[in-house]
Amino acid sequence: MTRNQIHSIFLSAFALVAALIATRPAAAQDPQQPYPTMAPIEQYLMDRDAEIALARSAAPDAISHDASVVVLTRHGYETAVQGKNGWVCWVGRGWGAMFDHPEFWNPKVRAAECINPPAARSVLPYAYKRTELLLAGHSKQEVIAAIKAAIDKKELPALEPGTVSYMMSKDSYLTDYGGHNGPHMMFFETAKDGAAWGANLTNSPVLAVNYWYISAEAYPQLKSFPPLSVFLVGVAKWSDGTPAPSM
Amino acid sequence: MTRNKIRITLLSGFALVAALIASRPVAAQDAKQPYPNMAPIEQYLMDRDAEIALARSAAPDSISRDAEVLVLGRHGFETAAKGKNGFVCIVERSWTSAADPDFWNPKVRTPICYNAPAAHSVLLRNIKRTGLILAGRTKGQVDEAIFAAVDKKELPAMEPGAMCYMMSKQGYGGDTVEHWPSHLMFYFPQTDPAIWGAGLSGSPIIAISDAREHVTTSVIAVQRWSDGTEAR
Repeated sequence: MTRNQIHSIFLSAFALVAALIATRPAAAQDPQQPYPTMAPIEQYLMDRDAEIALARSAAPDAISHDASVVVLTRHGYETAVQGKNGWVCWVGRGWGAMFDHPEFWNPKVRAAECINPPAARSVLPYAYKRTELLLAGHSKQEVIAAIKAAIDKKELPALEPGTVSYMMSKDSYLTDYGGHNGPHMMFFETAKDGAAWGANLTNSPVLAVNYWYISAEAYPQLKSFPPLSVFLVGVAKWSDGTPAPSM
Repeated sequence: MTRNKIRITLLSGFALVAALIASRPVAAQDAKQPYPNMAPIEQYLMDRDAEIALARSAAPDSISRDAEVLVLGRHGFETAAKGKNGFVCIVERSWTSAADPDFWNPKVRTPICYNAPAAHSVLLRNIKRTGLILAGRTKGQVDEAIFAAVDKKELPAMEPGAMCYMMSKQGYGGDTVEHWPSHLMFYFPQTDPAIWGAGLSGSPIIAISDAREHVTTSVIAVQRWSDGTEAR
């Protein structure tokens, strides 16, 4: 695994600032493919009430209290609570990360996230579609092809401006690396990389990853996808207002 | 609400700033008008090398070393160092970057590094504002000129992805807020700050809209200064 790949893994949409301070060695499994296939579906599911609570914990109560909440079922995400402020809180699983992410099938991942209305309209549909297809048993290649076809037919929306995501839950499990978690904000931009924001440079507080892949070589069709970068900025407190460890 | 009021409102959302405000002693001068007029231009100017260094301190060296740097001259900002990464670093003065009571405070020095989209939009407004100020226009005249230029599209709208770094450990924000916390700012065409949950209890985002300049600015505090040392 190259240094850049490792860096990208740490910076994946789920694995973030906290993972950067990881010092422990990789898991005992093959570090390149610790989770080569999907685990039994039961390992990804949660108690419904616990999932609702975890989802809401992604953002301060002032936001999540009135948000819609979606939960994972055997066939995809479904609305568990209808909100009234346009925000949607949910708990992402490993497959929400890049298609070539080593923890794509990690059944321990629980990435609580509350996304604002523009992101709910223009980012979440991609996560829903990906989830439904994967849970229906489609391969990654098939999912990628289906998403590309949906983009081309405009069945999936273009990214709206002003998207933001809160990932401030104290109880998320984002990665096997480091402290497994860290509060942060995410911004979605139609950028090819993080250069415009000075991301990923020494001492920059901004981290950026490609939404689709770590390296497009594994799934070349992803090269033809619309550019989509995720920018992460660590914050000092968890959603409940308590201080988080310094990043 | 004036531009400077907007800025102080944005940044006063930080607890650190609030603490600074609460703890500072009352100025010896008239607290309402400590700086009623522009000071002699010399008081706003800096040694060129010191200004370049201060400007670069707004962002980590990995960004600012390849940035263009502007310094203040007697008639406005001018290029002191060419860049190659699209970022532009500058030390803004009181008339663009301090609270109203500090509008003419000659001690204010606010280092900022703008990314390319912000340099093409936000920075142009501040450069124009500075040129007008140094040409002797009043605050009101400058505001009206900027608003008119924005309305006529002589000054461009906010570009997508416009943002800046304000992570300098140095600088002076003014007597009202002596030092800003380390933070990033993001600029958007006028947008309802509510879409980011800005300003809600527990939210790390502060934002405010300026209807006259058709811009919404959001701020997020970060945990380190540009040199990598802890900022909280």
